[in-house]
Amino acid sequence: MTNLTTLIRGEFSRLNKYGLFKANLVILLVWIFLVWFMESEALLRFIPLIFLMDSVMMTILLVGATLFYEKKEHTINSLMVTPVTENEYLMSKIITNVLNSLLTVFIISLAVYLLKGVTYKYWLVIPAVTLVSVVHTLIGIRLSYSAKDFTSLLINYMAYVFIFFLPSLFAQLNLVDQAVARFFILLPPEASGLLITSGFTVTEPWKIVFSSLYLALLSILLFRFVVKPQFIAYVMKETGV
Amino acid sequence: MIIVKNLRYKYPKNKDYVIDGVSFEIREGEIFGFLGPSGAGKSTTQKILIKLLTGFEGEITYQGRSLSSYTNEFYQDIGVSFEMPISFSKLTALENLRFFQRLYRKTVDLEPLLRRVGLWEDRNKKAGEYSKGMKIRLNFVRALLNDPKFLFLDEPTNGVDPANARIMKDMILEFKRRGGTVFLTSHIMGDVDELCDRVAFIAGGKLREEGSPRDLKLKYGKRTIRVEYRENDELHTKILPMEEIKNPDFFKLLQEKEIETLHSGETTLAEIFIKVTGVRLRD
Repeated sequence: MTNLTTLIRGEFSRLNKYGLFKANLVILLVWIFLVWFMESEALLRFIPLIFLMDSVMMTILLVGATLFYEKKEHTINSLMVTPVTENEYLMSKIITNVLNSLLTVFIISLAVYLLKGVTYKYWLVIPAVTLVSVVHTLIGIRLSYSAKDFTSLLINYMAYVFIFFLPSLFAQLNLVDQAVARFFILLPPEASGLLITSGFTVTEPWKIVFSSLYLALLSILLFRFVVKPQFIAYVMKETGV
Repeated sequence: MIIVKNLRYKYPKNKDYVIDGVSFEIREGEIFGFLGPSGAGKSTTQKILIKLLTGFEGEITYQGRSLSSYTNEFYQDIGVSFEMPISFSKLTALENLRFFQRLYRKTVDLEPLLRRVGLWEDRNKKAGEYSKGMKIRLNFVRALLNDPKFLFLDEPTNGVDPANARIMKDMILEFKRRGGTVFLTSHIMGDVDELCDRVAFIAGGKLREEGSPRDLKLKYGKRTIRVEYRENDELHTKILPMEEIKNPDFFKLLQEKEIETLHSGETTLAEIFIKVTGVRLRD
């Protein structure tokens, strides 16, 4: 078994043992309960929102919670003196979150199909959710670096939402000029929302291509120039050898 | 096994070097004690040796090759036991160890190790429910599970009861007898004296003294004999230079007086620590 597989298995085992997986499942059940009462048309507007919240919010919070526990229990120290590389460690966080988000997609999609017979463009939704989860796992890790505890992670998260989500909301409420609003596609949540929604509505192809490339590039840049270089400094802060 | 030459290090945001020109050698098969007060540079040196810190000046070689040239494969060779308890609290002790065990190519059977440190019966208990002493013993087992060649032990018996501390010290000595090398830091000078072949004292980022505990005790001790004897119901003390040990007067004293204690003037490692580093040991 490779180190990466071991780390991912360990991540899932801990998500389960620390009750984070259960919390995720409870939220899933709430979504399914709401889906039950919705008409097909409303569903096609509501489900992208579920996937967006899951791959943005839950992803940031889950990776933040696991990093918080690792900091609190100093287990990151032990991991860093094993043959595990920084890349393997960070990739395990990303892959775990992607699998978690895809599990949500699978369960919700199955529930929606069985309860309402509604289907959508899975071939667009799955890569979109994957990409959005990757970006937001990296954002979650970066937010965790500057968080002293879980509360300050939540504050960082709120700040992220405030800065990056509000412009899109203002645009939808026509509070922002459309000429300016065009550029909001450069905000990660806006590009994420657009990409996920493309699986449910007709979207201009250039927007899908642009959002995909933009989020992929953002992931690479975040990993290469933000998350990885700051990782050792983050570990050192926690390492009281 | 490890040679450190003129090691210098400063943290990125600091102006001053925390390690300033430190050189020492850890020989294969020995237990090397690295001692010093808090903030002396001991932890930083250890972080550098276990490759957690990079960007140092100077030269470090491990088994003849630059330490920097080693990939994470280096960790297949070493075991690290941290001072603070480290474990996933919601996982059982066995689950914790098995998780780490899967990250190594070579591993040992956990049962004998856990039995030896008295944790086998509690192996299925969550690590978070362990006492501090049990968690430290779990750390120790974790450090040994990849059958390392080199052990880095930070305060290995701190917080462990005397009976279990004895077991752990015996295991460290057995590890050494099997050819293992140990880098040990501890404030428990009794343990250092008992375990270490050589020790180095660091203070203010500089190496202040290095040698075997015996040699250092001779160097810093007084070459005297202190005799306490009772005469006419009164306690008397006589201190004689070591050179006078063959003097007939000394034999006469031993034969004629009621001797209560007899000590050579050698000092303790604790006293050397205070003298060399200028800092008192914490309790």
